[in-house]
Amino acid sequence: MNPFRRTLQYLMMALLALFLGAFLLLPVFTVVRTGCEPALFREVFLSPVCREGLFNSLRIALCTTAMVAAISLTLALLYDRFDFAGKEYCSLLMLLPMILPPFVGALGFQQILGHYGVVNTILTGVGLPRVDFLGGEGKFYSVCLIEALHLYPIFYLNLVTALGNIDPALEEAAANLGATARQRFFRVRLPLLRGGFLAGGSIVLVWSFTELGTPLMFGYNRVTPVQVFNGLNELESNPLPYTLVVVMLAVSALLYGAMKCVLGRTENSGAVKGSMVSRSKKLRGWKRWMPTMVFAAVALASALPHLALLGGAFSLRWYGTILPEQLTLEHFDNALSNPLVLPSILNSLRYSVLAMVLAVCLGVLAALICVRWRLKGAWALDVLTMLPLAIPGLVVAFGYLGMTGRYAWARAVFNPVENPLWLLGIAYAVRRIPYVVRAVGAGLEQSPEELENAARNFGAGPVRTLFKVTLPLVTANLLVGGLFAFSFSMLEVSDSLVLAQKSAFYPITKALLDLSQILGCGPAAACAFGVWAMAFLALTLGAAGALLGRRIGAIFKF
Amino acid sequence: MAAVHLDNICKSFIPGKPVLDSLSLEVASGELFFLLGPSGCGKSTLLRILAGLEEADSGTIRFDGTDITDLPPEKRQAAMVFQNYALWPHLNVFENVAFGPRIRGVKGSELRREVLDALDAVHLADLVERRVPSLSGGQQQRVALARALAVKPAVLLLDEPLSNLDARLRDAMRSEISRICRERRQTAVYVTHDRQEALSMADRMAVLRDGRISQLGTPRELYDRPADRFCGSFLGDINFFSGEIAAGEIATPFGRFPLTGEWRGAGCAAIRPERIRIVPPGTAGAFSAVIRGGSFGGDRTQWRCEAGGVEFQVCEAASPERRTGETVALKFDPGSLLAME
Repeated sequence: MNPFRRTLQYLMMALLALFLGAFLLLPVFTVVRTGCEPALFREVFLSPVCREGLFNSLRIALCTTAMVAAISLTLALLYDRFDFAGKEYCSLLMLLPMILPPFVGALGFQQILGHYGVVNTILTGVGLPRVDFLGGEGKFYSVCLIEALHLYPIFYLNLVTALGNIDPALEEAAANLGATARQRFFRVRLPLLRGGFLAGGSIVLVWSFTELGTPLMFGYNRVTPVQVFNGLNELESNPLPYTLVVVMLAVSALLYGAMKCVLGRTENSGAVKGSMVSRSKKLRGWKRWMPTMVFAAVALASALPHLALLGGAFSLRWYGTILPEQLTLEHFDNALSNPLVLPSILNSLRYSVLAMVLAVCLGVLAALICVRWRLKGAWALDVLTMLPLAIPGLVVAFGYLGMTGRYAWARAVFNPVENPLWLLGIAYAVRRIPYVVRAVGAGLEQSPEELENAARNFGAGPVRTLFKVTLPLVTANLLVGGLFAFSFSMLEVSDSLVLAQKSAFYPITKALLDLSQILGCGPAAACAFGVWAMAFLALTLGAAGALLGRRIGAIFKF
Repeated sequence: MAAVHLDNICKSFIPGKPVLDSLSLEVASGELFFLLGPSGCGKSTLLRILAGLEEADSGTIRFDGTDITDLPPEKRQAAMVFQNYALWPHLNVFENVAFGPRIRGVKGSELRREVLDALDAVHLADLVERRVPSLSGGQQQRVALARALAVKPAVLLLDEPLSNLDARLRDAMRSEISRICRERRQTAVYVTHDRQEALSMADRMAVLRDGRISQLGTPRELYDRPADRFCGSFLGDINFFSGEIAAGEIATPFGRFPLTGEWRGAGCAAIRPERIRIVPPGTAGAFSAVIRGGSFGGDRTQWRCEAGGVEFQVCEAASPERRTGETVALKFDPGSLLAME
């Protein structure tokens, strides 16, 4: 390798590391530095409110992950084990819950489980008393349920990928030695799925532990993320939220570490795939439809909040009735006439396009460094690019706030009180880089390096090889990474709620929260606004699913 | 076409374990040169160093006297046919073949003509618009060859290009590649571990072992006069008889036989099975042996014989039926018993 070219590659790696250091590690460091006050820690652990918040957040994380694991394992095993009616569509159906963040789904959920919602209407209709699903402990289960219904696809996709990587010969060997189906499942298949459990489970656990939007929408305020958010207004005088964020970060790391200890050891179960034959059992007759029904039931349950959102958006009255009444487009008019809505869409578009461009450029560079260039220390960069999946968004968002307070250069470059375009663009991008790195990295690993060597061998320089061969070969992966970066940025919650401080710069999510809190027609207009968002995300994720198929699970690997 | 000079090429991926150990080699212009050796002997690494895809730790590479050691791959005139073909799946046949000429600035009708010429040479001119994944293995192999030929390389590098093909297609492609290289007087370095491929196609060949050249020469020289036991057995079946060598003879338990070669002292004599003939009893210079078994191979039979407690192979063409335990008279072809260490 030409020494100049090698030096250039190391320089690019250093610049990328510097960027991630400045916009990922430094914010975390700033939070830790600001929040690590013994007196504040004492206050956190002595305050019954903070303790309860932490306890509730942990309960939400564990309960949500358990629900997600149960749903996902059932679905993944059915998908892997059987050939059933509409199997190929079921895969796409599983992406359905991801078309809305639970934050927005919560709006629809209230229509179903509210005091005069659908379920209570049915209960009173059959002579039973109303149940307060959204009050007291009901709020806790509602938050868990809606988060589980949103997050199970991540776990499911990881499990399907892990199952697909298990060589059927391993189970055949067990069967050949006399193992029953039950023994094969518990002693061969389940242990080999540990990698999938770790990859999906760790994301779900950390995500649900630090989720801000859903508890906020349900008014379940005794959880740490909401307590942190509520402390924003008096941050200047009371730095307790920083300490709460440090505690959240530590607990997240502990949760991940615990999962890694339990599930960390992964085996190379696909080593003998040369002998691969289809292991799906073809179901016949009415049995063909059994797995389809299970998939449909789960999809329906996860789509209910979204259907309710549609109902709320298109009806004039939905109160004490099972179905919405008096169809109307009035809420869409109300939503669009609200001065917050249109600017927030434009703002989100600006922030998300900037985030997508940054995430794609940096993600491609990181993938090339880690997969192709194999520079010394590339493993550290790989870990660094994956960190945003493990570090809660709220922590990073608080870190940016802390940086603007602590460093003059940060205040000069991105002051959220002024135009937060660059700050939000970078914040969104940093959190989405892992998706691009995983998507492009998977593409690079799947396309033989010889194809690029061949281009070099036939006279193409490194830049021409990159644009003529390398990138065209991973176009689908690149598009998916970009789509995810864009669509998740459009409906990002933590950074948006914390960093967009002036209404003129609100992104969609913050406008949605404000809209939903307006008395009267506010919630209905928020539903209408949410429908736009849902349609938009459905389009992008559908395109991603069509492009990547089963490999889409690789994007959510950690 | 260029002559290739390799001088003291060294390469190791793990310190202290050289893959190539001070290897020097010359390939004449227009020569079809084979690098033959077992897996891990360094032959593919040497080819990749020639292509510039690997960097030698030390040594120089010259094409027609010009030092190209430090040139990047794209600046060398060495086109490679990869083992897995490395055809770009996002480009069709025409675009794959046109890739190299286009980079060299060839455009329009001239580009089309050059691409079609290259495809014509491999009898694939009617598949220009086809997508690569829709081609058979043999067709893909020929597109890879056409892509390399289209850039009119100074040196053509072939990395086990036939290893993924079935036996019949492999035979057909051997003569195709030989024909194309000879017609174009193309300097080519061909890596393989298939001795039949090397023996049937090479102008000259080198047997590599542990990163060094064990023997270099024409296929006939290497087959008939292997330098050592490794080369002898790598190029085909061979018998080794131990014994005391003196005065141009070897003393074996079943007789004394004249030897070819310079070796003196304790050593062995080597002879290919087909150089031992089953002759009528009483033939001058013959010795007796008992058949212990055999394997029928259609046009020839490989007999396992024993004489003086020593077992060895005898290859008989158009063999009649023989029985295990039958005694036969055997005779070595004159000058075919080689002395070696």
